[in-house]
Amino acid sequence: MQSDQKGTTVSFSGVGLTDEDIYEAMKAIPGYIDITPGDFKEIYCLAYNHAVERFARSVSAGDIMVKPAFHVLPDTPLAEVAEILGTHGISGLPVVDADRKVLGVVSEKDILSQLGFKDTVSFMAIVTQCLRAGGCISVPVRAPTAGEIMVSPAITTSPETPLVELVKLLSENRINRLPVTDSEGRLLGILARSDIVNAASRSGTCPWNISGR
Amino acid sequence: MSMEYFRKMKGSSQSPPRVKLPEIAWSWVGSLLGIAAVGYLNDRYFEGTDLILIIGSFGASAVLIFGAIKSPLAQPPNLMGGHVLSALIGVSAYKVLAPHLWLAAAVGVATAIAVMHATKTLHPPGGATALIAVIGGEKIHNLGYLYALIPVAAGAAIMLVVALLINNIPKTRRYPEFWM
Repeated sequence: MQSDQKGTTVSFSGVGLTDEDIYEAMKAIPGYIDITPGDFKEIYCLAYNHAVERFARSVSAGDIMVKPAFHVLPDTPLAEVAEILGTHGISGLPVVDADRKVLGVVSEKDILSQLGFKDTVSFMAIVTQCLRAGGCISVPVRAPTAGEIMVSPAITTSPETPLVELVKLLSENRINRLPVTDSEGRLLGILARSDIVNAASRSGTCPWNISGR
Repeated sequence: MSMEYFRKMKGSSQSPPRVKLPEIAWSWVGSLLGIAAVGYLNDRYFEGTDLILIIGSFGASAVLIFGAIKSPLAQPPNLMGGHVLSALIGVSAYKVLAPHLWLAAAVGVATAIAVMHATKTLHPPGGATALIAVIGGEKIHNLGYLYALIPVAAGAAIMLVVALLINNIPKTRRYPEFWM
């Protein structure tokens, strides 16, 4: 969402409001309205930003998290972890103890680095490495468990955390998913970056509905 | 900074659209009746007395309460509050600063605007009401603080009644937007 308050057009998510739109709207209302189209645009921009802000505060982690979340135990073998990730097309999952308390997070990246691909950031980086080397060296791997390679402690959040805070948590920690836990630290659900995009797109319609009086 | 200062003088928006003919007609009818009411009562009952009921600033009020009825400046608290507060301030300025009328006029109008702002009763004709208290001549000066009651409060109230009666006749109009 962009709002350029100095230019002649203002573009919101999907709504481009022009001076002509405002002028035509003012013409449709009988009676003299003693504001300029510029005044209206300024008010509209501020009100729109306010509405977006309100939305981001009113939606919390509990509203948009996915549950139940896939999870593994610390003693789950790496092969099984990889299988779950692959089967469900996800890139990471929480590791919990018998009491469902979140101990850490294990992700694609952790598994790759375990296989000897250090400093790799993506699957394509590995493909590149293999192609350049003329083949993939199969490294003998001591099959570890989820508990041994997980990143711990995990960054988690509570169901009450508002959307604005979630976005901040994800981007500041450069992580892709947040386990949502109760006050005891037990896993309730999981929130991936894509879940936030989906929630935001549901709010993308113009929040404004003025019916003629 | 200086470029920005001059650039701002070019303006950044456009004039609102022209209103349609019925709106112009109702503005004319309303203000005709509003000023007629105050003017007739003045001529009929106040002619030859020390009192008056009509002052110049009512012409400006007519522009707002019949010509721009949606405007926040045209609403009842602004019409009544703006006139009465400005009248009191204008009379005070005259009493304190006479015979320096130019100074009394300037201080009266400026203070009236500030007080109208602070009390959310900004009504442009109030500035004229404050000014008239100072430069309106001997007859106005002799009224003292009565000026705030007659002609100011009484005249504004009559105009308000006419505005309520006339502005709500057409389907496309309604008055006021708010009372408080």
